[in-house]
Amino acid sequence: MWAVPGVVETMSNLLEREECFAVLGSAHRSMLEGRGNLVFVEGEAGVGKTALVRHFCEQHSNGSRLLWGACDALFTPRPLGPILDIVQAGAPELGTLDYGRATPYHVAAAVVRELEERAPTILVVDDVHWADEATLDVLRLVARRLDTLRALLVVTYRGEALDPAHPLRIVLGELTSGPSIQKLHLEPLSAAAVAELAGPQGVDAVELHRVTGGNPFFVSEALASRGEGVPENVRDAVLARAARLSAGAREVLEAVAIATTATDLRLLEALTGTIDARLDECLASGMLVEARDRTVAFRHELARLAVDGSLAPARRVTLHRLALEELAARPQEAHDLARLAHHAEAAGDAEAVLRFAPLAGAGASAVGAHREAAEQFARALRFADGIAPQARGELLELRSRECYLTDQADEAIAALRDAVECYRRRGDRRKEGQALGSLSHILWCPGRGREATQTGREAVALLEQLRPGRELAQAYTTLSFLERQLGDVDASLESGIKAAALAEELADLNALSGALGQLGQSQLAAGLREGTQSLERALAIAEEATSEENVADAYFGLAANAARLREFEVAHPYFEAGIAYCREHGNDLMLLYHLAYLGQAQLEQGLWADASESATLVLRERAVSTLPRTMGLVVLATVRARRGDPDVQPLLEEAWALAEPTGELRRIAPVAGARAELAWLQGDFGAVLEVTDAALRIAVRTGSRRELGELRSWRKRAGADEPFEERIATPYSLQLADDWAAASEAWTTLGCPYEGALALYEANDETVLRRALDESRRLGAHPLATMAARRLRERGAHAIPRGPRPSTRRNPASLTAREVDVLRLVAEGLRNAEIADRLFVSRRTVDHHVSAILRKLGARTRGEAVAEAARLALLEDR
Amino acid sequence: MNTYVILRRNGWKTADDLREAAARSTAEGERMPDEVAWIRSYVLAETDGTVGTVCIYQGASPEAIRKHAAAAELPVDEIVKVADTVVVRPDPVPVTV
Repeated sequence: MWAVPGVVETMSNLLEREECFAVLGSAHRSMLEGRGNLVFVEGEAGVGKTALVRHFCEQHSNGSRLLWGACDALFTPRPLGPILDIVQAGAPELGTLDYGRATPYHVAAAVVRELEERAPTILVVDDVHWADEATLDVLRLVARRLDTLRALLVVTYRGEALDPAHPLRIVLGELTSGPSIQKLHLEPLSAAAVAELAGPQGVDAVELHRVTGGNPFFVSEALASRGEGVPENVRDAVLARAARLSAGAREVLEAVAIATTATDLRLLEALTGTIDARLDECLASGMLVEARDRTVAFRHELARLAVDGSLAPARRVTLHRLALEELAARPQEAHDLARLAHHAEAAGDAEAVLRFAPLAGAGASAVGAHREAAEQFARALRFADGIAPQARGELLELRSRECYLTDQADEAIAALRDAVECYRRRGDRRKEGQALGSLSHILWCPGRGREATQTGREAVALLEQLRPGRELAQAYTTLSFLERQLGDVDASLESGIKAAALAEELADLNALSGALGQLGQSQLAAGLREGTQSLERALAIAEEATSEENVADAYFGLAANAARLREFEVAHPYFEAGIAYCREHGNDLMLLYHLAYLGQAQLEQGLWADASESATLVLRERAVSTLPRTMGLVVLATVRARRGDPDVQPLLEEAWALAEPTGELRRIAPVAGARAELAWLQGDFGAVLEVTDAALRIAVRTGSRRELGELRSWRKRAGADEPFEERIATPYSLQLADDWAAASEAWTTLGCPYEGALALYEANDETVLRRALDESRRLGAHPLATMAARRLRERGAHAIPRGPRPSTRRNPASLTAREVDVLRLVAEGLRNAEIADRLFVSRRTVDHHVSAILRKLGARTRGEAVAEAARLALLEDR
Repeated sequence: MNTYVILRRNGWKTADDLREAAARSTAEGERMPDEVAWIRSYVLAETDGTVGTVCIYQGASPEAIRKHAAAAELPVDEIVKVADTVVVRPDPVPVTV
């Protein structure tokens, strides 16, 4: 919007904005100095956000380039609309992408390149409350890179337009932490400002301020309408102003009103006939302004809404029909599918809707605007009563998938059930079976596991009656997954084998990689090591077939299983690779799975800061699949409980509410364990037994070794004296047999320091308790340290250190506390084996520590290390 | 944001060390204004001659408090959530930073 508005409009938009300009100005200076910034400009409709930003850009046009993109007020906006605006205006880097297929990750990378190549730049994205999902993702990704770019990103939005579930809220939440982000809130005008504007016109300023609330747009419309008294609302003000134009000019206004985005002159001609003085009248009055690329638009969306709302229904339909005809007749490359679908629906043209809406949906999905895609398919379905069941079923499946990807589980399930019905009526059993298979997968995600498995078995039974094809292989694969979640490992193994065998026979790479993925996990669950090979093969095949979902699944399978076996060095590279892959390909769901399981692995390794970060990332998102959320809650709650931090209980309550109804041990056991841990730290032994009861029963029934070990260990700590199963794995079996020393060693070797300290705590030996105390302090496990200190005092031990000693500066050689312990003993002349005995760790662990010490101190021998330590006063008791 | 009490017992050898720490705390707090806000602190005369503090902070989460403390190199003994604030009389001496 680059036209020059009237004087009243200019003034009303710029009064009382000095502070905002100051903030923007300083952000601009910051950018020129090399520190990129993001400024949010927020306020109600009509408060003058766009005008503010436009004025600011004009003031700073020397010395920085300007890129401007705006979001449309369409219910289903064109995906990546603002980016496309910018490309059109001329942005070389951005122009290189294929916007039919680029994922947000790629678009964001291109934006960053654009900002790097031609700095400094002011990048404006206007009205982001209307943004599509892909645009929001791009913004989020670009914002993260801002502080190294010489760019100022200005984003405007209407705060009031954001309902609690609006995706922009999540983006805002993610983005508000960081040095380079600021938020401006624009207030309506004060009574004094309104008086200043109203003065020259002799209007009652007090009344004007009261009715308009100081809203600048409303004020300027009211003043421009120059009627008797003040209009009651914005709509009346706008219509009163329009009423002062000729009938011909009003026709032009109406035509522009239905277009929702800027109207080009050819389109206008198609709607109202030859362009003539009528348009000039509208422009002169200020109700319409000339915008970019020879288009015209309303000065403000509120004005457009008012005029659109005043249209007689028949006239509105006619205008939309004409617009549809004109736009559809243009060459295909110029088709804005979202806009065409919109006009088609408003015109009530079922055929056109069925032609354009599915295409718009497919296009939106391809670039990651899944919310918009779901809406487009819904739109098509609204007009699909007359179409063949086959086609209707396909539309429903497409809608279901988009709903699944956007956390609309109920809609996804409903659409698929409907699709199954369509295929059944038509007697298309193959499609019916395939839809049932998809349904069984989606049912699992919000935790309806039993229903899911039942549906999965239905799918398999149906498809087995037909000639075997890919659908059956996929149904077996899904069933294998579901059976494993319910703990039926044998059935899961069988299904997995069938899936893989059929997929091999069909030489279907996609199906095969999915099948091997599930088979591998089932094999590992059954204790068969060849599971890892199956998973590796699944990854290789998925990469070969460039089947993005299967690649992500395969990375996850490998990472999660290595982590479960506590082979952390193996797990981490897979987590890293998987996370990078998911980010690049926009696979948000699998990204959450990776982060959740990574958080769990970091928790077990004592990397609590990392664990809480991973968990927090998971908890920020809402996802159809509740498993990552459950795990994220457990990880964060456990970190807090172990540190003695507050805000634990609400997390565990939510986790339990998510896990318990599913009946799945994989979900229930971790929550029960975390609740038990919290109760034990609080000394509530009764609660420990209570919260582990239900989970234990399931574990006994399914025979899961690890969960049994964990749950029984907590119960033992709480004083239970129960027999335990032979099959329980180490280190749990050692604990249950009261061999705490071996248990602690085993945990430490596995790389789980907190579990190691817990095992030491069970000792009745003073020296060992001191070790437990030291280790808990080192980890920051305040509650456990307090308990260990208390036990020591109860045993009459003396000289229990009171807490962390003050230090005036950090340890200059950055030795960890444990390494300092080891070095002390080295200084006393002990050999590594003796040190290992003294510290109750393995010889191998001490070797590792000593070599780290030598490296950090730059020493070649133990003697040198001790000397260096003395020089640096490292071993001084403070 | 929630309100938390943070205990930093025996955290510093001298008052000067604490002053340096306060400067770091302010600097780091300014880098994460939406995550932590330092409200006030009471400096403790510990029995062993060192100084400690009881700090009142607003924080987005306990992790945000710890992140700030790690960046500013401040010890954290305990974090407790504040349920309610009851002011009976104003502080007896002016609080300065």
